[in-house]
Amino acid sequence: MSTRPRPPGPRTGLLLLPPLLWLGVAYLGALGALFLAAFWTTNEFTGDLVRVFTLDNFRELFQGSVYRTITLRTLGVAVLVTLVDAVLALPIAFFMAKVASPRLRRLLVIAVLMPLWASYLVKAYAWRGMLSTSGPLSWLGISPGYGLTGLVITLAYLWLPYMILPVFAGMEKLPDSLLEASSDLGAPARATFRRVVLPSVFPALVAGSIFTFSLTMGDYIAVKIVGGPTQMLGNVVADNYGVANNLPFAAAYAIVPVIVMLGYLGIVRRTGALENL
Amino acid sequence: MRDHAVSPSIRLTNVAKTFGSVRAVDNLSLDIADGEFFSMLGPSGSGKTTVLRMIAGFEQPTTGTIELAGTDVTAMPPFRRDVNTVFQDYALFPHMSVLENVEYGLRVKKVAKAERRSRASEALATVRLDAHGDRRPSQLSGGQRQRVALARALVNRPKVLLLDEPLGALDLQLRREMQIELKEIQREVGITFLFVTHDQEEALTMSDRIAVFNEGRIQQVATPRELYESPTSAFVAGFVGTSNLLSGAAARSVIGREGMFSIRPEKIHLTDVPDGASTAAGTVRDVVYLGSANHYVVDLDAPPDATGATPTLTVLRQNLTDDGVSRRGDRIQLGWLPEHVIELQPPTEESA
Amino acid sequence: MKRATTLAIAAAVGALVLTGCGSSGTASGFKAPDVPMAKKLGANEGAVSILAWPGYAEDGTNDPKTDWVTPFEKATGCQATVKYFGTSDEAVNLIKTGDYDVVSASGDATLRLIAAGDVAPVNTSLLKNYGDIRSFLKNQPYNSVNGQMYGMPQGWGANLLTYNPNVVKPAPTSWASVFSPTSPYAGKITPYDSPIYIADAALYLKNTQPSLGIKNPYALDATQLAAAVAILKTQRHQVSEYWSDYLKQQQAFENGDSVIGTSWQFIVNLIAADKKPIKAFVPKEGSTGWSDTWMIASKSKHPNCAYAWLDYIGGPAGNAASAYYFGEAPANAKACSVIASTDKDPSFCTTFHAGDEAYAKKLWYWTTPVSTCLDGRTNVKCTTYADWTQAWTAIKG
Ligand SMILES: Nc1ncnc2c1ncn2[C@@H]1O[C@H](COP(=O)(O)OP(=O)(O)O)[C@@H](O)[C@H]1O
Ligand SMILES: [Mg+2]
Repeated sequence: MSTRPRPPGPRTGLLLLPPLLWLGVAYLGALGALFLAAFWTTNEFTGDLVRVFTLDNFRELFQGSVYRTITLRTLGVAVLVTLVDAVLALPIAFFMAKVASPRLRRLLVIAVLMPLWASYLVKAYAWRGMLSTSGPLSWLGISPGYGLTGLVITLAYLWLPYMILPVFAGMEKLPDSLLEASSDLGAPARATFRRVVLPSVFPALVAGSIFTFSLTMGDYIAVKIVGGPTQMLGNVVADNYGVANNLPFAAAYAIVPVIVMLGYLGIVRRTGALENL
Repeated sequence: MRDHAVSPSIRLTNVAKTFGSVRAVDNLSLDIADGEFFSMLGPSGSGKTTVLRMIAGFEQPTTGTIELAGTDVTAMPPFRRDVNTVFQDYALFPHMSVLENVEYGLRVKKVAKAERRSRASEALATVRLDAHGDRRPSQLSGGQRQRVALARALVNRPKVLLLDEPLGALDLQLRREMQIELKEIQREVGITFLFVTHDQEEALTMSDRIAVFNEGRIQQVATPRELYESPTSAFVAGFVGTSNLLSGAAARSVIGREGMFSIRPEKIHLTDVPDGASTAAGTVRDVVYLGSANHYVVDLDAPPDATGATPTLTVLRQNLTDDGVSRRGDRIQLGWLPEHVIELQPPTEESA
Repeated sequence: MKRATTLAIAAAVGALVLTGCGSSGTASGFKAPDVPMAKKLGANEGAVSILAWPGYAEDGTNDPKTDWVTPFEKATGCQATVKYFGTSDEAVNLIKTGDYDVVSASGDATLRLIAAGDVAPVNTSLLKNYGDIRSFLKNQPYNSVNGQMYGMPQGWGANLLTYNPNVVKPAPTSWASVFSPTSPYAGKITPYDSPIYIADAALYLKNTQPSLGIKNPYALDATQLAAAVAILKTQRHQVSEYWSDYLKQQQAFENGDSVIGTSWQFIVNLIAADKKPIKAFVPKEGSTGWSDTWMIASKSKHPNCAYAWLDYIGGPAGNAASAYYFGEAPANAKACSVIASTDKDPSFCTTFHAGDEAYAKKLWYWTTPVSTCLDGRTNVKCTTYADWTQAWTAIKG
């Protein structure tokens, strides 16, 4: 016997109204306000908002080579963090899904989730300690110090769970028999990984990369803590908003990652990975 | 090292496999000849799949050795063994087309593209799927997928093909067709087929030899005819066909001897009892209509058997005419020729 | 093509509108907006919200023995909440939220706060301790408009060349040690993270490249700014961290991630208290510095408690405690004797030249750069703080 879902009645509609309103007004409204503010400017001296339409912010953005540099650097870090996380997540997720006993698997899932319970700041400062020239890493003879390297390490650490979890879910969906079939047909482990595992979990990888990529694109706090003198897109936005009090310029620059992410999601949509989120 | 010419295709020597406290395979030794269609038959959980997986290399035997064509492969990884498997769930790669699936084994062995293509197309033609190479496995029916899995294994020209209940997921009609087709293909390619099934009829129709499994052990290895006509144990007699067991006081009363006996249902006469036949009287408990024939279940007028149950014989009778010989509750006389009484080995202490 | 034209017209219209109403913001002919001033005081409201430089309003959180906020609360009944900020820009930004009653503003923030109408003129006759404030801190261009005071002076001091004596050897004598393109301490230099730090480079250039004609490090024309930016871009490659969070700077010095840079006496004291090697001084060529004034927010919800805080922190006890802890010259002349007796440090005010008007005039206090050159030049336009802000982003790259 099969039960068909009833068509949604007026009651369901009412239930959906508050979240839809929230999405429409609060969420998209905030984006709209951001977009609008990008066309305003501030009084240079007092820092007060001047609500008059101008394209100055965008002109400055596209003419100032420093913003191009910072945008490219941010993109580069985002790509690097995503790659590092992908390279780390694949074997970890594979071990969790296909090698570990059910008991060990549960423990590992908890271990992967655990860092998410700790405050972001605590973890970032922990890495500040790790990366310090007199920190634990220096005892091992590696001391990257504060800067791009330290930043990539820290961000890769911070976002790793967001990569492992979807990839783990993807690996779990992959039937063991496919791996056995590949091996049975003569493929050594590497070939099986490349030709069967990787294509199967690719959508999951893309799903994870959406997290690692966008979280890196927007980060500015970890940069301040372990990035040394490095500036990222988020820092320029935060400095313009919080320090220079130039909300319009901050808004204009903040539109850049929004556009980048929309472009990325557009590409991703073709891979069908959005269904795996 | 043994001579290759006389080496069996597969040789298992004292192979055992335990999972924790479960003894999946218990001290098994078996030789399978080159080009043989060999079936492993047994109830679910009797260890057939485990034997197959050990031969493929997916499981390591706890003890014992496995040889393929005279070479010890016990420690060899699956991708080095010259065997291919047709999985029960087919295990087709969903992200590849049918043709790519079939090509896979050649691709990972770095066979040149042109040769790969032609061999794969050829293999698809063998299973009559050459028109479907561009499709995804998800776009095929169950029977078609099964044939793709077969082509994907055969294209590698293995010495041995392992098949784990390959027809289990198909409906009866298709299964019958595929049984014939499989047998034909095996004859064509002439390689050893090691076939796992729990369906006795399937095993009997397709196999050159059958090993009957129970609880991780082989009960009997024989040709289908031997197995049916002369099962050596109550288990085999019961698993292959209907057994009609008589033992204990029932055996003494009906057969006139001590021991355990079986008479196949089609060997028992209901009315036209021939000369020289042994007879017994009973009451019809049930008549089961089978279409071309009827099953008569008859409670014998005899003391209970070794298990304490009323001795019962099932009789198969062709539906030639509706002669209405017997209905439920009718008293009836049964007869059989002495040569059709099969004497079984008494159950060993262990398995009792 | 058509679209480009439309955009150009829209931009032109926008620019027109901007110039039309933008005149109030320029510094030339500075006119403070009309914000009412308190005529008399009423009952205290029971609360006051303080926006301060770190170290100006210690309530015992950092060190139980360091607490001059609690005595104020006991005396006035005004429960104080303190928020520290790291840069003047942050203060200018935070005061606009309307959440704060008083702010300790440096010279690079004061005029911006006044011009925006974010702070109110202060009726000094309501502050009984105002009379004790040293006269050279009263009615200054950075804390008053046309003879109207906008706050209570707190103190003044210099940005210090700070270093780890265990690493930096021989001891540095000049700011050159942080601006030289070939510093042996490359990768361990820590400058202050604010556009105003450009003045530090300008001051260095004023002494080392006289041909640039820099008279006042806050009055830079385009060429002079470019020179300062160039030297800061070179410095960028040697920077460990730009700092604005004093706790992180303290940590960086203590862990050896930074060994030389700009700091404040207050931070140096914290590091010394942790028994870590640290030294700080004003190099021979002088230094930038600050002169801070406590101001009252025009949107203050607790104006009476705000006046009470100004009177307390500018009074002998409050001013002594805060100036001594922060490490600056106190504004109140009576604070020196309080420091001499309670803190057993009779030489403190001499060290910080508290009464030395001539010395005080030698420091370059943080001032907001505006287009009218502060050094009196009229033949060029100077770069504004907005220009500096952009330059600062470009320097960090
Ligand atoms: N991976 C495994 N872990 C634990 N027990 C297993 C495993 N594989 C098989 N078994 C056990 O081994 C026994 C034989 O299983 P199997 O070989 O699959 O039997 P069959 O194929 O005859 O149905 C069963 O009791 C089964 O539960
Ligand atoms: Mg099985």
